[in-house]
Amino acid sequence: MAIGTTNVQGNLYTEDTSGLRSEEMILNMGPQHPSTHGVLRLVLVLDGETVVQCTPIIGYLHRGMEKIFENRPYMAGVRYIDNADYLSPMLNEIAYAGVVEQLAGIEPPRRAQYIRLIVGELERIASHLVAVGTYGLDLGASTPVLWCFREREAILDMFEAVSGHRFTHNYMRVGGLLCDFPPGWLQTCEKFLDHFERSAYPELDGLLTGNEIFAARTQGVGYIDPQQALAYALTGPNARASGINYDLRVNRPYDAYREVAVRPVVRQDGDCFGRYCVRMQEMLESVRLVRVAMDQLPGGPISARVPIALRPPRGEAYFAVESARGEEAIYMISDGSEYPYRAKLRGPSFVNLQILPELLRGRRIGDVIAILGSIDIVLGDVDR
Amino acid sequence: MSNDVVQNIIHFVVTFIFSVFFVMTAASLGVWGERKVQAWAQDRWGPLHYGPQGLLNAILDPMKLLLKEDVKARGIDNVLFRVAPIVFFAPVVAAFVILPFSPYMTAAALGTGIIYYVALSSLDIIGVFMAGWGSNNKYALIGGLRSTAQMISYELPLVLSLVGVVMLTSVVAPGCIGAHADIGSCGVGSISFTQIIAAQMRPSSPWLWFFILQPLGLFVYYICGLAETNRTPFDLPEAESELVAGYLTEYSGLRWAMFMLGEYGNMTIVSAVATALFLGGWSGPGAAVGFWSGHLGHFWGGVVFNVIGVFWFLVKMIFTIFIYMLVRATLPRLRADQLMRFAWLFLIPLTLLNILLTGAVLLIPVDSGLRLLFAGVTNWILLAIVIFGFRRITGVSLTGKTPRWVRRQVAASAASKPATGKPATTPELAGSGTPR
Repeated sequence: MAIGTTNVQGNLYTEDTSGLRSEEMILNMGPQHPSTHGVLRLVLVLDGETVVQCTPIIGYLHRGMEKIFENRPYMAGVRYIDNADYLSPMLNEIAYAGVVEQLAGIEPPRRAQYIRLIVGELERIASHLVAVGTYGLDLGASTPVLWCFREREAILDMFEAVSGHRFTHNYMRVGGLLCDFPPGWLQTCEKFLDHFERSAYPELDGLLTGNEIFAARTQGVGYIDPQQALAYALTGPNARASGINYDLRVNRPYDAYREVAVRPVVRQDGDCFGRYCVRMQEMLESVRLVRVAMDQLPGGPISARVPIALRPPRGEAYFAVESARGEEAIYMISDGSEYPYRAKLRGPSFVNLQILPELLRGRRIGDVIAILGSIDIVLGDVDR
Repeated sequence: MSNDVVQNIIHFVVTFIFSVFFVMTAASLGVWGERKVQAWAQDRWGPLHYGPQGLLNAILDPMKLLLKEDVKARGIDNVLFRVAPIVFFAPVVAAFVILPFSPYMTAAALGTGIIYYVALSSLDIIGVFMAGWGSNNKYALIGGLRSTAQMISYELPLVLSLVGVVMLTSVVAPGCIGAHADIGSCGVGSISFTQIIAAQMRPSSPWLWFFILQPLGLFVYYICGLAETNRTPFDLPEAESELVAGYLTEYSGLRWAMFMLGEYGNMTIVSAVATALFLGGWSGPGAAVGFWSGHLGHFWGGVVFNVIGVFWFLVKMIFTIFIYMLVRATLPRLRADQLMRFAWLFLIPLTLLNILLTGAVLLIPVDSGLRLLFAGVTNWILLAIVIFGFRRITGVSLTGKTPRWVRRQVAASAASKPATGKPATTPELAGSGTPR
């Protein structure tokens, strides 16, 4: 092909461009990248700005967690599972404690179950705050993330008061809890819930949800239809945003959820905006659940009597909790000794991440981050 | 050497020193101000430790950058990589000379002010593209390409939004005042900044700043200014979350500092131009040369008038910059294709319509005051329509403030889509506490 142009003198000359060709570009996004939410590496094949193919490469944060469990007594595992999904450690701990209890046939006291629900739902709020805030940051809005972290800070302070740790709480024990609420904790929690519901949430909602640029970036982007969601085994907010009414707290209730009814948030949007909205609305639902649980909080012991050297009978157990990202489950086999024979973690982030290449095909670079952020993965949970 | 030449040389040197140092100061103070404003919006303190309210950061930040190692990656285009920051920075400095801080404090009162400004602001693109191309980095390349496309696209509505102002100056030009002014013979207006400011503070109507008559012009100019200076929501070229740092990815130290200074300098210029063309420049309470020279004599009256004029100019400029920073703290960024669509399909038709309407109204053969009134009213109505249009596409909220049309749409889509996701029926496994 030849392109005709005129030079200054007005003579027509032709430039031979037949040797030129355009080719696809391979872009390595990550593992060091500001917004792959950790050390995820995406190998993108780009045609201009359009993504032709995407290959997620994981494993940069692999810590061999399942092997670690095999070498620790049952009681010691709680400390390690904190780091699996490091944005919702409480929920991980509930899963771990739950699976060991199921293996050993221990029923935690009712008060412990209710306290688990309260801290678990607070942890869900904290985790969703990070998800929503960093999602705003991914889309270029720098303020929501700081507002979210300000609220999350209050939750972490409460966790510190109750467990002694802000981040890796190490609060759950097989058969119950480490300790009861300190005096005045419930009032602090009540105050926080009021503040969150009346001022923090509407502020955040007004800043992000109603923003037309935010809507333009998220609505209709990264659509997952219900069949696809089922086929990829999505769980949690990602599935509920696609109209899959599946919430373990309702469908397979555990602990205090057998007594406290959950109203799962289900939306039909299926796009990034829907997933964002589900997370936002789940925060309000969690606030309601914490309130209900605090009202019904029974007295009594916080822990069942469990031998220190716990030796569950030979057998296997699968225990799943609805974590902030989906079905956080542990499958554990006991051979009757002090150590688990085998432990398998089902990280919801890992399963949810599998749909990413399909969602990204044909989208722009800008959408890569929008979609990745909306799936809300935690690399600690993906790599374990 | 004749007196003239010496004067010219002195003028040149003074102008150069003034612009360079003003850019440096404005930019480093701008960085500090940005951090403070953002911190204020985000419940933080921002810089705090060096100097009062961390004000010394404005000096220490550039100094740190000055002392940093100059890293050059392998495989870069040596010439382009080194020249790019200079090419980016030079037009910014050059554009500063025309900023009219007061009638006497204008380094070069060019008769072709607007054209000069527009030309120089377009030159920046070359520096950005050189940086993107020369860096041998894919992020930089994409950022540079995006930036080039964006700046070229937004150059057009930016220029077109200024045309309304130029048309207005032709109406308020001395020959056109009065009921019987002949449109054919009266003044053709001006594109010089000082003249445009003078037209906004005529003795007969000292408060008729052009944003009152051209609010839409200011609106569009401001949006395009955001895009020109690569700021949120148009900061795609250096979209941190996507492209790491865009065309700046491979830069460090002084070269990076030149880009940043140029960017903040650019922001200052855009604000200053908005001040001069729309917000009345140096006019404000007390900026009346006749009053002061009557009381204090010609010389001292002029000095006082100038000081007041500079004060008002800076106040307006800083206010405009402040809005810039608030916008950055508030909005997310657009996607590349949405950005281009916004420029070509929305802003350019809008500005063309504005020019058409303003021109048509100004041709109505009535008294010039009435004509200005008509022009202003049309423009405000157009702006109201535009903002209402914006409001139509927004307004989603989760706390019940959702507009009715959104709710209707949601209800319709929910009704048309059957709920495919029935509650998954998992066989009830052993609940917690029951051993297998």
